[in-house]
Amino acid sequence: MRSVLSVTAIGLPGLALLLLYGQTGAAPDERAGMAARAEGVVIARCGSCHSTDLITQQRLNRSQWQGTVGKMVQWGAELSEEEAVLLVEFLATRFHQTAPASVTLNEIGAAEPLQAEPLVIQERPSGISQEGAGVFANNCQGCHGSGARGGFGPKLAGNPILNSERFWQTLLYGRGGMPAWEHTLSRQEIANILAWLKTL
Amino acid sequence: MLNADGEASVTKGHVVRVLSRRTVLRRIIQGLGLTLALGPAVPVVQARERAAQSDETDRLITRVARPLDAETPVEEFVAYLTPNSRFFLRSHFSPPPLEQLSDENWRLRVAGLVEQPLTFTRQDLKQFEAITITAVVQCSGNGRASYRPKVPGVQWEQGAVGNARWTGVRLVDVLKKSGLQTNGRHVQFQGADHPGAGTVPPFVRSIPIEKALHHDTILAYEMNGRPLPLLHGGPLRVITPGWMANSCIKWLTDITVRYDEAQGYYMQTAYRYPTRPVTPGETIAASDLKPVELMVVKSLIAQPRESASLKSGPVMIQGVAWTGEGTIVMVEVSLDEGRTWEPARMIGEDLPYAWRQWQYIWQATSGQKTIFSRATDDRGITQPETSPWGPSGFLWNGWDRVRVMVAE
Repeated sequence: MRSVLSVTAIGLPGLALLLLYGQTGAAPDERAGMAARAEGVVIARCGSCHSTDLITQQRLNRSQWQGTVGKMVQWGAELSEEEAVLLVEFLATRFHQTAPASVTLNEIGAAEPLQAEPLVIQERPSGISQEGAGVFANNCQGCHGSGARGGFGPKLAGNPILNSERFWQTLLYGRGGMPAWEHTLSRQEIANILAWLKTL
Repeated sequence: MLNADGEASVTKGHVVRVLSRRTVLRRIIQGLGLTLALGPAVPVVQARERAAQSDETDRLITRVARPLDAETPVEEFVAYLTPNSRFFLRSHFSPPPLEQLSDENWRLRVAGLVEQPLTFTRQDLKQFEAITITAVVQCSGNGRASYRPKVPGVQWEQGAVGNARWTGVRLVDVLKKSGLQTNGRHVQFQGADHPGAGTVPPFVRSIPIEKALHHDTILAYEMNGRPLPLLHGGPLRVITPGWMANSCIKWLTDITVRYDEAQGYYMQTAYRYPTRPVTPGETIAASDLKPVELMVVKSLIAQPRESASLKSGPVMIQGVAWTGEGTIVMVEVSLDEGRTWEPARMIGEDLPYAWRQWQYIWQATSGQKTIFSRATDDRGITQPETSPWGPSGFLWNGWDRVRVMVAE
C-alpha cells in the first residue's frame, strides 16, 4: 500500500517545505530514470482527472509548479510525498519559463496509434465488487461520472461492454481518448472495478 | 473512449484501426453538443450521425482535451455573430449526464433569502417575458498566454471570446417570483456539473445583488436562435452582459440568495485579480485582490491572419472591439510599432454589450510588417500596450498585433 500524502496531517506549509528541500542531486542516468517515472506519475495521478495537455502547455518556474502541485494534492491527487517531490523536480526542469513550445511528454500520454493487442488476456481474476467502488472513484469517475453514469466518457452502468472482451482490452491498452491502465491498475483492481460496475 | 468506431476496430483483430484523438474528440463534441439542440425526440446515435456530416466543430483549437477547453480561431471574428459550433468552450468539469438535463429531470431551484423557495421546470420558465440580448461572452483568462512571466492556467491566446444573441428570461423576474428578503446581497449560482472526486471544490459562484437585479442579466435557453447546446450550458445558463464569463454559470440548477458572497475556492480564491501593481513572486494580501467582473476595453484583428502573405497595395484590415458595460468610441491601427495611430472605420451594429466591427484600408508596401490595433471606450479608457501582470493572468487586453509578409 502506498503511503498517500495527507495534507491534513502535515499541512500545506509542511508540503511546501517538503517540496523545497526534497530535491535530489541525481546523476544524469538516474535523472533519465526519474523522468520516465515522473511521466508515469503524471499519466496515472494527474491524468485521471484531466488530460495531460493542461500540464504540458504550462511554462512555469519552480515556485509556480510547487504551488500547482500543492493545490492538486489538496484537491485529492493521489501522490505520495516522494512522488510529489519527484513531480515538482520533473515539471520545473522540463516545463520551465523559457522551455521551447515544442517540449512535451515523451511517448506515453499519446493514446494513438492504438496498440495491437493480444487476442487473449491471460490473467483475469474474479473481482470483489465492494473493493471496486473506491478504485473507480479514484481513477475512473473523473471521466465516467459518479455512479458510472457518464460524463466526458461514456456511461458504464448497464453498458454491454461489461460483458465483453472489449472491457479488458480497453482497460489495459486504451482506446481513443481512454488511456491505457496496464501499468497503473493491477489485474485484480480492474476485476474489482468490473465486478462493481456490474452491480449498478 | 468507447464509441461506435472503437467497436468496429476490434472486429478486425490485429489490424486495429487508428482512430485519432482529434476524431474522437470531434465526434464527442458533435454527439453531445447537438443532442439537446435537436430535441429529446431524436435518439443520441442518430444525432451523432447527423452531426458527423458536419465538420464545423473542427475549427475550434483544443487547449485541454478533458475537461474540454477550446478556443475559436481569430479569423472567425470577421463575422459579427459567432456561430454556436465555433464558439469557445471552457469547462471546469465534464458536462453533466444527459439524463439529468432532460425535461423530466431538470429543475431550477430558487432558495436562500427569499420569501418562498420555488422550483421551475423548463415549461414554467415560459411564464416570464422572453428577451434577447446580443452580448460578448469572454473567458476571464482569454489572452493569458501573452503574460510574461508566464502564469499557470489554460494558455488561451485570443479566441476564448465570442459574440452571440442570447435569449432567455430576466433573472430579476425569476427572483421576484420567489420574493427577495431585504438582507439578500449576493446571488449564488450552481450548475449540474460536478467534479469527479469529492476532494475537488465544486464550481459555485455569486454575483452582487445589483448585477443580479439588472434588467439585462438573463437566464438564457437559446443561443443565436437555437436551443442552448449542451456544451454551452444547455438547458439554462446565466448571462451577465458586460462581465467576464466566470459568472455565466452553465447547466444552471440552483440559485441561492445570500447575505455574503459564495464561499469556496472558485469565489474566494480563484477568479480574483490584484487591484494594485504587483511583481512576480510577491505575496499579495487577500485585501488587494478583487473578483474579476467587468470586461476591459479590447480589440482583436481578425484579418489578415498572423503570418499571412500579402501583395503590396490596398489591404483590408478588419476586426472587432468591445468593452464592459460601455461602448466603443474608437479603434486605431498602427503600422509603425505604435508610434503613430490612424483611426479605423466603425461598421455594423452598435449595441450595448456586443462587440463592434471595424475596418481599415492599408496601403501595404513590401517587407515584413506588424499591424497593431487598440480600442478606446466611452469612459475614455484606451487598450494598453500590455496589461498589468497578475499571478493568475486574467483580463489580458494588450494591443493586438499581427505580423504579415508583404510581397512586391
